[in-house]
Amino acid sequence: MRHYEIVFLVHPDQSAQVPGMIERYKSSIEGANGKIHRLEDWGRRHLAYPIKKLNKAHYVLMNIECDQATLEELETGFRFNDAILRSLTLLQKHPVTEVSAIATATAEENKIAESRAKDAAAKEALTATAEDADDATDLDGLDEELEANDIIPE
Amino acid sequence: MARNIKRKKISLVGSESASQIDYKDLDLLNDYITETGKIVPSRITGTSAKNQRALCVAIKRARFIALLPFCDSHK
Repeated sequence: MRHYEIVFLVHPDQSAQVPGMIERYKSSIEGANGKIHRLEDWGRRHLAYPIKKLNKAHYVLMNIECDQATLEELETGFRFNDAILRSLTLLQKHPVTEVSAIATATAEENKIAESRAKDAAAKEALTATAEDADDATDLDGLDEELEANDIIPE
Repeated sequence: MARNIKRKKISLVGSESASQIDYKDLDLLNDYITETGKIVPSRITGTSAKNQRALCVAIKRARFIALLPFCDSHK
């Protein structure tokens, strides 16, 4: 049994299939007495350059321990799966379990994006109420002006 | 004399061993590529030969899975 690190890129339109794919690979690895030491889903990332005219792809990282036959089965699966744009398999000396730099970065980005979305929503709500108030005062002002205009010709 | 002044920096990787240079560590790799995406020679960065080899492998792996660009003229 050897340790491998696999990264594969999934077509962004097939993102929904990713959990099912992971489940399938998991069962085929564990069915052959292999182990999954690390499994990271980096989500949809912007590509540094377009692949097949796509600018985004869904990244998945796996650190596994399996035998030759299982690895070959996985790799042929990657090759003949149209949803998989590209894959990289590396031989590792030891099992790796710590969280990778990209996973922590994407997690942080997601957090920031979430907090920003919340802030934006809160701000929108605030401005909406403020605008309502402004509209009310403006209308009052207009009424007064109209009244004043009415008075002058008389 | 003047040659020493030209040297921009003494390797950042110095503190890290070659086995720690990973293709997923984009913050580190970004320090060793130019704006056009080329690998910066070790005579500029002052990286040791061993670390430079590890950096090259890591940058090329990152390029293959589109974490880093090959050049700046990708469409």
